Amino acid sequence: MIYENPRFLTGGDRYMLIEFGNEMNLELNFMAQGLAKAIEESQTKAVIETAPCFASMLIHYDPDAIGFNDLAKEMTSLIGSLGPSDDIELDSRLFYFPTCYLDPWTKAAVDDYRAKITEKKWDPEFIAELNGLKDVHQFVRVHSGTEYWVASLGFWPGLPFMMALDPRCVITAPKYNPPRTWTPQGTVGMGGASTAIYPVATPGGYQIFARIPVPIWDTEKRFPQFEKSICLFQPGDRVKFVPASPQEFEDVEARVKEGTYVYNVVEYQRFSVRNYKAWVKTLNKNERF
Amino acid sequence: MFEVLVPGLETSIQDYPGRIGFWNQGFPPSGPMDSWSFRIANLLVGNEAGAAGLEAQFMGPTLKFQRDAVIAITGADMQPKLDAEPAPLWESFAVRAGQTLALASSKTGARSYIAIAGGIDTPLWLGSRSTFHKAGVGGMQGRALQKGQVVPVTSSEGTPGRKTKADCRPTFAADKIWTIEVVAGPNDDWIDEAGHERFLSTDWKLSSKSDRTGFRLEGPQWTFTEKAYKKAPENGAEPSNIIDQGYPLGAINLAGQTPIILVNDGPSMGGFINPYTVPSATFWKLGQSKPGDIYRFKSISIDDAQTLRKKLNAICSASSLG
Repeated sequence: MIYENPRFLTGGDRYMLIEFGNEMNLELNFMAQGLAKAIEESQTKAVIETAPCFASMLIHYDPDAIGFNDLAKEMTSLIGSLGPSDDIELDSRLFYFPTCYLDPWTKAAVDDYRAKITEKKWDPEFIAELNGLKDVHQFVRVHSGTEYWVASLGFWPGLPFMMALDPRCVITAPKYNPPRTWTPQGTVGMGGASTAIYPVATPGGYQIFARIPVPIWDTEKRFPQFEKSICLFQPGDRVKFVPASPQEFEDVEARVKEGTYVYNVVEYQRFSVRNYKAWVKTLNKNERF
Repeated sequence: MFEVLVPGLETSIQDYPGRIGFWNQGFPPSGPMDSWSFRIANLLVGNEAGAAGLEAQFMGPTLKFQRDAVIAITGADMQPKLDAEPAPLWESFAVRAGQTLALASSKTGARSYIAIAGGIDTPLWLGSRSTFHKAGVGGMQGRALQKGQVVPVTSSEGTPGRKTKADCRPTFAADKIWTIEVVAGPNDDWIDEAGHERFLSTDWKLSSKSDRTGFRLEGPQWTFTEKAYKKAPENGAEPSNIIDQGYPLGAINLAGQTPIILVNDGPSMGGFINPYTVPSATFWKLGQSKPGDIYRFKSISIDDAQTLRKKLNAICSASSLG
């Protein structure tokens, strides 16, 4: 649900977490992104930085400049001044990625976890079963059947937290317990209803089932996409995973290595919340591809 | 400048408060884990409290100075020697060109700080010189110091012979038992009463699987309120799973059943609950503890946490020098 009044939660002496609701939908992400933008524009001096996510926003503030309760009051009035999300229309880039689903590399990471940490079902099988899908192949069809919305960046520099835009492709999965100690670079995984891409090899808690050969962050800025930022994505981008074979993965990987890979990005579209919501209304959410 | 003869165990360039302002892209602040000792070291040599210096952990480096310098060493006692003669801690002293400074392994505490008058002058990366070595950014070539590197220092006279007042230094737990102040939240209402009592009454052991991204704790299982079970499926099914959210630095992050304190190079977001947060004034204790040490958590109010912060900031000033 979306809370009638946002909740203001304490994080030590210098953080506040504002929770707008307890589910994942675009509306909540728009509120979080909208508030982050409003704070930036209002130049609230006591706010050092913000980190908006799916349904909440973290504020890092200067406690020498403002108390927790006063900050909550200021945020309440800013939230009240945000317009309806239906009016939001923004430029939204669309990235296509060759994606090797059910790939040998993430499978090796899962096998390693099973051998060293704890027994568990292979992640794609586990997710398929949990979501009432016929098999891992239907899981691939459903997971790759939608565009994903980049709701925020976090966990690791440049890591996108994404939501399926087509409600017929929304699936969920629990996170690892305990987390994995390593995940291959470019792994695609999900936890809750969120899908993410691991920019580099890191520990992780998401179920993993696919890999992309294309870098999503680059400290050396080898490709023109990284001219402005070493992180490929920004909130409001969209991602489409295009299933690819291990062979194709390796071909693209080789092109990335030699610097000849061309990013497949569409940059002419605008995302209209009103149009999107109208389209979603026409769909039967229980249908599966 | 100085040359790295022996790098030690992950000796890194850090500044304070580090790389601030990029949490929404996933960049952690990095910076010194014990900013109390770090700031004092800088003040001793006449630098701004936040100037770039070295953090050595567990086992320190051996450095050869190519120019005269004024330096100060604070934090853990790694029995520093200047050309084989014992060098002082918590005071600034002169080093002549050609002399060698060698730090051994830490006797008390875990991290030593070396400040050099003028400050280390490596390139700024997103506004900071701090090393985030897991991602390969900041410091020198994005990594901990390597043998043979020559580290540039801004030239400055510095003031030798300045000391730190005895009551203005942190006291390290001699018995390896630390009392760590924590503030409840942001997700404290996911833990039931028994869970809170257990957390606050347990001797938690710092795991060897700890680094500058997270400090893993070993202890009993957690128990939860209804909120952790009756929730929308997009939270994830495990009780500690929540819709991905921003993490406060210092959050005690419950990954499944394993609490991990998120420290200087930690993740900015994720899908686990954070029942408690270690406030900024207590971070130095984390920085000075070693795997195997015991943590006892003490819940304090947000006001108390902010008072502790003010006190620590007051200590980290010229008034603490004698």
